[in-house]
Amino acid sequence: MSDIRIIGAAPATRRRRRVPVGVAIALGVLALVVLAAAFGNLLFDEAMRQDVLSSTLPPGSPAHPFGTDELGRDVLQMAVAGTASALVGPVVVAIGSMLLGVILGTLAGYEKGWLDTLIGRWTDLLLAVPVLLAAIVVSGVMGGGYWVTVALLVVLFSPSDIRIVRAGVLEQSARPYIEAAQMLSLSRWRVMFRHILPNVTSLVVTNMMLNVAFALVAFSSLSFLGVGVAPGTADWGRQLTDGRAIMFQNPAAVFLPALLIVVVAVCVNLVGDWIGQRLSQVGEEVR
Amino acid sequence: MTVLLEGLTVIGPAGTMVEPVSAEIAPGATLALIGESGSGKTLTAKSIVGLLPRGFRATGSVTVAGQALPVERPGDDAAWRRARGRSVSLLLQDPFTSLTPVHRCGDQIAWTVEAAQGHRLPRGARRAAVEERLAEVNLPARVADAFPHELSGGMRQRVAIAAALASDPQLLIADEPTTALDASNQAEILDLLRRIQLERRLSVILISHDLGVVRGRTDQVLVMRGGQVVERGATAAVLAAPEHPYTRALIEADPVVAARSGARIAAEEAAPSEVEPLLVCEGVTKAFGVRTVLDQVDLAVAPGAIVGIVGESGSGKSTLARCIAGLEREDAGSIVLAGSALAPGRGSRTPDQMQIVFQDPYSSLNPMMSIGAILSEALGVAGRASSEVPGLLEMVGLPAEFARKRPAELSGGQRQRVAIARALAPEPRLLICDESVSALDVSVQADILALLARLREEIGIAILFISHDLAVVRMIADSVTVMWDGRVVESGPCHEVLEQPAHEYTRLLVAAATRENAVPVEGKD
Repeated sequence: MSDIRIIGAAPATRRRRRVPVGVAIALGVLALVVLAAAFGNLLFDEAMRQDVLSSTLPPGSPAHPFGTDELGRDVLQMAVAGTASALVGPVVVAIGSMLLGVILGTLAGYEKGWLDTLIGRWTDLLLAVPVLLAAIVVSGVMGGGYWVTVALLVVLFSPSDIRIVRAGVLEQSARPYIEAAQMLSLSRWRVMFRHILPNVTSLVVTNMMLNVAFALVAFSSLSFLGVGVAPGTADWGRQLTDGRAIMFQNPAAVFLPALLIVVVAVCVNLVGDWIGQRLSQVGEEVR
Repeated sequence: MTVLLEGLTVIGPAGTMVEPVSAEIAPGATLALIGESGSGKTLTAKSIVGLLPRGFRATGSVTVAGQALPVERPGDDAAWRRARGRSVSLLLQDPFTSLTPVHRCGDQIAWTVEAAQGHRLPRGARRAAVEERLAEVNLPARVADAFPHELSGGMRQRVAIAAALASDPQLLIADEPTTALDASNQAEILDLLRRIQLERRLSVILISHDLGVVRGRTDQVLVMRGGQVVERGATAAVLAAPEHPYTRALIEADPVVAARSGARIAAEEAAPSEVEPLLVCEGVTKAFGVRTVLDQVDLAVAPGAIVGIVGESGSGKSTLARCIAGLEREDAGSIVLAGSALAPGRGSRTPDQMQIVFQDPYSSLNPMMSIGAILSEALGVAGRASSEVPGLLEMVGLPAEFARKRPAELSGGQRQRVAIARALAPEPRLLICDESVSALDVSVQADILALLARLREEIGIAILFISHDLAVVRMIADSVTVMWDGRVVESGPCHEVLEQPAHEYTRLLVAAATRENAVPVEGKD
């Protein structure tokens, strides 16, 4: 056949571009955070043992580079130990709400009709609920606890996921390749999850990473307000609250956890954007 | 006033994309750039107006009426702002996207006038200037107050022409100016351009993949392929006696040339016999809201026949195909396939009854699936094994290795072959081709038509071939049905309808298909 030869077109291997510097740094930071989350608890015992009440030290001493908190615990060790609660909750929330989003969003976008209306009203209802306020109220009623907060945030984070997946599915389901699948009388499940879903993956993953960052901030805010984790637990939000009282003796007790929250949230966003971009290039033209 | 291209070369990130092009265009003359997608014709045009994509640059020189364009400095906005408009202007292919949807047509023309004059005009003068420009393209003054979506495709392209010419350029580059238009509009727009050009003594570079557009309306032609000029000369001479084998192949593949010579790709079918038709549609009616799209349409397709349906966009031909396929539900009427009546919708249909090949080969294959996976899935539907994939690929003229590729790695023609293979996998009795070759280059188009004709011979499949282009339909179809405004206005054996068109609309289509109304260059009407 006489199809056109595109002269000088870049060979397919050229698409393996190098990782941008910013993303590489963000990946490095996240790798450290994951390590700290896995092994940070070992340090926490140590931090608790050093507990020598009422000796708040300013930063700068060789033994305590970031000083100690109001209970005499090392600020750096507490921050490292707090990584686990900072990471596990948000990741579980992001994955959980995205699972809800993928299932309900795909159904709503592909089936349309009454199911779409029902799911649409449900998301409207959830979006009207203020996240933090609801978490505070539920914790107050149910006695609180980390996993209650996780479950609540999964539900409250899901409406935006549902809407995003639904929009992506709507866009895809109008394409001829979906009609071609319908011409083959494929089952609706196969069309939804084999044909449409892979084409919205980049959307799903990018949004999931965004949610990790949002959830991290939400968790820290709740801990800061005293709702999330139990007092005495190593947690960045908790550290912020406790550190506030000794801000003038040891400013690092506030700034270190605050900085960590910001840095990790930014890194997660950077990496999320990058992954999303890479994924959306998979099916694209080689140009 | 002459336009001079000297050694114009386009260099992309991976090397030279267009080899040096030189040409001279006299005032009032048209240079045609002919070639298929990937030939470099659009890159050449973009380099002249400084709109090359990132990573591309041009060398060489372009002089318009003694003034050099800053072609080697694509980033120099200040220099380009002076050059664009007054020296050179660009007319784009798609009037549906080249006008801003949120502004009135008059404003869009007025901006160009004001930009060219360098100052804002008072209200009255502005209105007068816009009306003058609209009159030049045969549009009434009220169009100035209309938004682009309120106009038809042909009117929009006229507005686009008026906007492109509002700055009184010396050189107009028209990039596939009629490709997005219906057949009956194409000739009008081209003739309008030609008339204005002669009146204004404007130099034009007309870019097209369609030889019919070039014939009779251009003075010189450059045939491009793979970034190189393979043939050049006076249009009439090149078309009459092409020297390069590629030019010859292009001319032979042109459906209009075939229509004139009566050449056909498919063998002529014997006169309709007494066999029971495979598909019978009676009184099919469909409305979207208050708009009736199909009005009592009757259609019959004999087993193994190729039936063409011709009509413009909005004539209802695609809706008819989609009703037959069950992708739309007809409001009334009956669709009977092989003796059994089909209820509206997909629910009553099976994959082995009929399959569709869609228009756009770029979106009709799932980009995330390999060709092998796409075809195995289609084979699986009919209970056939994945081991038949290589055989299926061979049937549509593709090598077996293609099973491992993804759609993005294939050309448009190759993708359309895969789409045909997928449609054939469940062994359907009827294949519906909905504008299946419209998005392809002419030579690829001819290949796909030949493939369809061969499939009919080999496996005896009946084909319902839908197209806006009568010239293409007559190359392949045994009989043709002409649709207009949701109704069948004429139907019968292909040669009868073409030779003695009974309906006025059919006559218009036939004229467009053979370009009998093309304005000769010498005519200067």
